[in-house]
Amino acid sequence: MTTFAFRMAWRETRAAWRHFTYFFICIALGVAALVGVGLFAANMERAIQRETRSLMAADVELRTTRTLTPEAEAILRGFDGRGIARMHLSELVAMAAVRTGTQLVELKAVEPGYPFYGKLRAEPEQALAALFTGNNVLAEETLLIRLNLKVGDTLKIGRAEFRVAGLLKKEPDRAAGAFSFGPRLLMSQQGLAATQLIQPGSRVTHRHLLKLPETLSPRAVQAELSATFPDKTVRVSTYQEAQPMLRRFLRQLTMYLGLAGLIALMVGGIGVASSVRAFLNEKLETIAVLKAVGAESRTILLVYLTQTLLLGLLGSLAGAALGAGLQLFLPPLMKTWLPIELEFRFALLPFVRGVAMGLLTTALFALWPLLDVRHVRPNLIFRRDVTEEPPKSAGRSAWVASGLLALALAGLALWQAGSWRAAGLFIGALIAALSLLRGAAWMVARLASRLPRWRPLAWRQGLANLYRPGNQVKTILVSVGVGVMVILAIHLVERNILWEIGENIPTDAPSFFFIDIQPDQQEAFARLLAERGHAEARLTPLIRSRLWALNGQPISRENYEEREHGWYFTREYVLTFLKDLPKDNVVTKGDWWNAVESSREPQVSVEEEAARRLGLELGSTVEFDIQGAKVSGRVASIRKVEWGNMSTNFYFIFQLGALDGAPMTYVATARVDPSEEVPLQRAVIAAFPNVSAINIRDVLDSVARVVDRISLVIRFMAGLSILAGTIVLAGALAATRFRRIYEAMILKAVGATRGDVAQTFAVEYALLGAAAGVIGTALAVALAWGVGHWILDVKWLFQPEALAWGIGGTIMGTILVGLLSTYRILGQKPLPVLRRE
Amino acid sequence: MRLTSGGREVSILNDISLDVPAKQFVAIVGPSGSGKSTLLGLIAGMDQPTSGTISLEGQEITSLSEDELARLRRRKIGYVFQSFHLIPTLTAQENVAVPLELAGDPEAVSKANALLRAVGLGSRLHHYPAQLSGGEQQRVSVARAFANNPAILLADEPTGNLDTATGEQVIELLIRLNRDHGSTLVLVTHDPALAAHAERIVCLRDGRIISDELQQRVPGARP
Repeated sequence: MTTFAFRMAWRETRAAWRHFTYFFICIALGVAALVGVGLFAANMERAIQRETRSLMAADVELRTTRTLTPEAEAILRGFDGRGIARMHLSELVAMAAVRTGTQLVELKAVEPGYPFYGKLRAEPEQALAALFTGNNVLAEETLLIRLNLKVGDTLKIGRAEFRVAGLLKKEPDRAAGAFSFGPRLLMSQQGLAATQLIQPGSRVTHRHLLKLPETLSPRAVQAELSATFPDKTVRVSTYQEAQPMLRRFLRQLTMYLGLAGLIALMVGGIGVASSVRAFLNEKLETIAVLKAVGAESRTILLVYLTQTLLLGLLGSLAGAALGAGLQLFLPPLMKTWLPIELEFRFALLPFVRGVAMGLLTTALFALWPLLDVRHVRPNLIFRRDVTEEPPKSAGRSAWVASGLLALALAGLALWQAGSWRAAGLFIGALIAALSLLRGAAWMVARLASRLPRWRPLAWRQGLANLYRPGNQVKTILVSVGVGVMVILAIHLVERNILWEIGENIPTDAPSFFFIDIQPDQQEAFARLLAERGHAEARLTPLIRSRLWALNGQPISRENYEEREHGWYFTREYVLTFLKDLPKDNVVTKGDWWNAVESSREPQVSVEEEAARRLGLELGSTVEFDIQGAKVSGRVASIRKVEWGNMSTNFYFIFQLGALDGAPMTYVATARVDPSEEVPLQRAVIAAFPNVSAINIRDVLDSVARVVDRISLVIRFMAGLSILAGTIVLAGALAATRFRRIYEAMILKAVGATRGDVAQTFAVEYALLGAAAGVIGTALAVALAWGVGHWILDVKWLFQPEALAWGIGGTIMGTILVGLLSTYRILGQKPLPVLRRE
Repeated sequence: MRLTSGGREVSILNDISLDVPAKQFVAIVGPSGSGKSTLLGLIAGMDQPTSGTISLEGQEITSLSEDELARLRRRKIGYVFQSFHLIPTLTAQENVAVPLELAGDPEAVSKANALLRAVGLGSRLHHYPAQLSGGEQQRVSVARAFANNPAILLADEPTGNLDTATGEQVIELLIRLNRDHGSTLVLVTHDPALAAHAERIVCLRDGRIISDELQQRVPGARP
C-alpha cells in the first residue's frame, strides 16, 4: 500500500506543478527566514565564543567609576607576585578642540601592553608604537572628518595638545554598544594625566585588566576578588561575561528576528492550506474514480498526505538553502553592532530545526483540507457541481491530530524564541490575530452579500466574487492581513519611539548640556553663560553615589538578586540638592521642604518609581555611599517626574546643605540657537578646557540612527512575511483561475472588452485589499499599542498618515499582485474555453 | 481553420465559403465533430481562424483586435450557447442586463426586466442560475442574446442540453423573438427537426460544406 501511495503521489505531483509552485515557495520562504536567523545567531554566538577574550582584552576585569582606594590598590599590587599582569584603562567623554571647531569624543587612555588579548590595529601600523611616546593619539576616522584634520595634525584635549599619529582601525574591546557619544580617541595614561580632565566627581569609567597565567582560573580569581575586595561597588567579571549588554542585545534581536521569521512561516502555512484545497478540488474526480475502483479513504488520504509531506520536505530543504544564502544580507545589516568578524559556517541545529518546522507547518495546515478526502463519494463522478456540498465535521481524530501538531509547533516556537514569555506572547498574539482575521473574513463575506448591488457591472461582479462558494476571501484576508499587521506595527512602534525621544521634546527644553564643571568654576561658568545671553541657563550640582542602606539595612545581594528590577539597587545614583521643586516634578506624597526649616536629619525627595522598586515610604531612611563617605536622609516626599522633558532629572533630591563637602561637579543646561552653537562651544572650551559640551540634538540623532537601524533589520525579516503573503495571494487567486477564465469568457462573449473584465477583477481585488488593509491596520495599531504600553513604555502617538498608508498601500498592492497574476486570463479566446465546459 | 489541440494541429474547418444575407434564418447541421460550433464561434469573432476571412455587414472582422471584436459582439451579435453559460453569481435580471450595461445603456435593468417577461420569466427576475431549471436558464440566455437588439443572432445547439418538450419551447421562443426583432439567425443543430424551421439548411461534414439548400416552406412554419 505504501508503494502505491508513493507511486500515486509522484504521478499526482507530476501533473499539478502549478499548484505546488505556490506551495513550494510558501514553505521555502518561511523556512528560509528561520534558518537564516538561526544560522546567523549560531555564527554570531560562535564568533563571540571564539573572540571572547579579546572582547574584554583580558581574563578578568574590575570596573568602577571611582579611583581605587589605597587598600584596594594594595590588594591588586599583591597580584603582581603571582604572575598576574595588570593594567589600568580609563574611559570618559571629553571635548576635542581645534581652531575651527570642537567635537565630543569617547576618550580611552591605556597603558603599554594593551590589549592583553585581541588585536589593536592602526594606520599606519607604526602609529601604535608612537602611542606611548610623546603626546600622540590615535583617532577614529570620523573624528578627523568632522574636525577637518589629517594624520599628523594636532588637537587639544583638556589642557594638553596632542598629535594625531594615525587612524584607529580596530579596537578589540570597544563597547560595541549601538549608541555612542562620539568617535573614539585613544591615548596613553600619561597623556590623560596631562589633560587634567580627571577631577573629583568626573564621569570616568576605570577598568583594571588582569591577565592570568595558565595555572589560574579566571573564576577563582573573580571569586577571590569578590570576597576580599574592600570596595563593593567594583564590578568584577571574567572574560566569559564580557560585553553582557552586547550579548543580551544580540540575543534579543535574534529572538525577535526568529519570531518574525516564524510569522513568515505561518503565513506560508496558510498558503499551503489553500494550495492543497485548490488541488484537491481539481482532484475530486480522480478521488471519486479511485474510490470507485476500490481504494479506501485511508489509502487515498495516505497518497495525498505523502505527496504533501514530500513537497513540504523539498520546500523546506530549498528554504534552508535559501536561508544559508540570507547570510549574505544579515551580517552587513548588523555590522554596526558587531565588533567581531563573522565567518560563515554551516550549523546543523538551525538547519534541522528550520526543516522540522517547515514539515510540521505543512502537516498542520494541509491536514484539514486533506481530511475532506474521506467524504468524497464515488457517485461524484456523475455530478459536476461539488463546491455546494455542505461541509462535514472533521471528526475527533482530526482534532486530535491537529492539536498534537499545533503543540509540536508551539514547542518548536518555544525552542526558537528561547523564552517561555516571548513564545507564549507570540503564540497568543498569533492565535488572536488569526482568529480575528478569520472572523473578519466571515464578516466581510456576509457584509458583501448584503451590500447594495450597485449598477456598475464591475462593482457588482467584483462584490459577488467575495461571497460566492469556493471564494478565497479567508485565505487572502488572513495572509495579507498578517503581513500588513507585522510590517505596519514595526513601523508604528519605531515612529512612536522616535517621536518620544525626538519630537516630543518641549520647546523650552535645553539644547545643550555642559558636564564636569568643577565647583570652583561654577561662578565663572555661570557668568560666561550670562554674558553670552543665556540668562535662563541653570547650573545643577551632581554628586555621584551608590545606595548603601535602606532603613538601616545595608544593601546585600539578597535585595536585588532574582529581582526583575534589581538594577535599582546596584545602579549609580546621581544626587543633587535643591531649594525649590524642579519644573515638571509633582509631589504625590508628603511635602516639599520650605527653605527655613532645618531638621536634625537631612530630608530627601524620591522619585515615584524608584520608591516603589526600593520599597521606600514617607519616613524611610536611605543611606548613600559617596566616595566612601556615608550620607543618609529621611524620605520627606515622593515625586512624579516627567522624564521626557530633556532636563536634568533626579531619582533622589536632598535638602540644601545636606551634601556640603561631598565631591561634586556641576552640570549646566542651556537653550542655544543653532548659530550660537559653535561660538559658545569654543568660548567654553577656551575658558574651561575640562568641561564637555553635549549637544542634545546630536545625541538624539545618534539614538534615532540606532532605532532606525534596528527597525531596518526587523523590517527586513518582516518583509519576508509580506513576500509570503503576496505568494499566498497569488496562489489563492490562481486557485480560482478556472472559474475566472470561464466567467471572463462569458463576459467577452456578450461583448466585454479586456478592460471591462480587468475592471471587475480590479474591484474585487480592491475590496479584498481594503478589507485586509483595514483589519491588518487595526491589528497593527493594537499590537503597536500593546508593545509600546507594556514592553517599551512609550507614549502612544496617533499616526493617521501611517494608517492611511497601510490601508492605501494594501489596496494598491493587492490590485497590483491580483492583476499581475490574472492578466493572462484576459487575452484568452472565448470559444475554446466555453466549448470545454 | 486549424486548431491546436493537445500539441497536435487539427484541421477543423477547410475551404468553407458561406454567405448569409441579412434577415435570413440559416440552420447549420451535421454530425458531431463536423465543425458546426467552431464555424459559429468564428462568425462571432470568439476565435481566430488560421486563414481565411469573415465579414459581418460588410466589415472584415478577422483583422480586428480582441477588444474591437468584443465591442462588435456587444453591438451586433446575440449568442445562445448549448450549455447556457450564465454567470453563476448574478441573478437572471443581472445576467440579461450585462450586455446592456457594457453598452452603457442607462435603462439596462428595466430593459432586462422587459426581456425576461417576454421570455416568460417575469417572476424569476431575482433568481440565480443555480435556482433555475435548464429550460429557464436557456430562456434567460435567449433574453440576454436579444438584449442589445442585435442584427445577428447565433444559436449553438440551444436545445442540446434540454429535454424535447423544453427544447421545443425554447426554439419557438427563439424564432418568435427573431421574427419580432428582424435579425439574421444562424442556428447550429444536429437535429433535422429543428433545422426544418429554417429558410436555408447548410450541411457540414468533416469541416466541409456538403450541401446548402433553400427550404420551400414559409420561414418559421412548423414542418
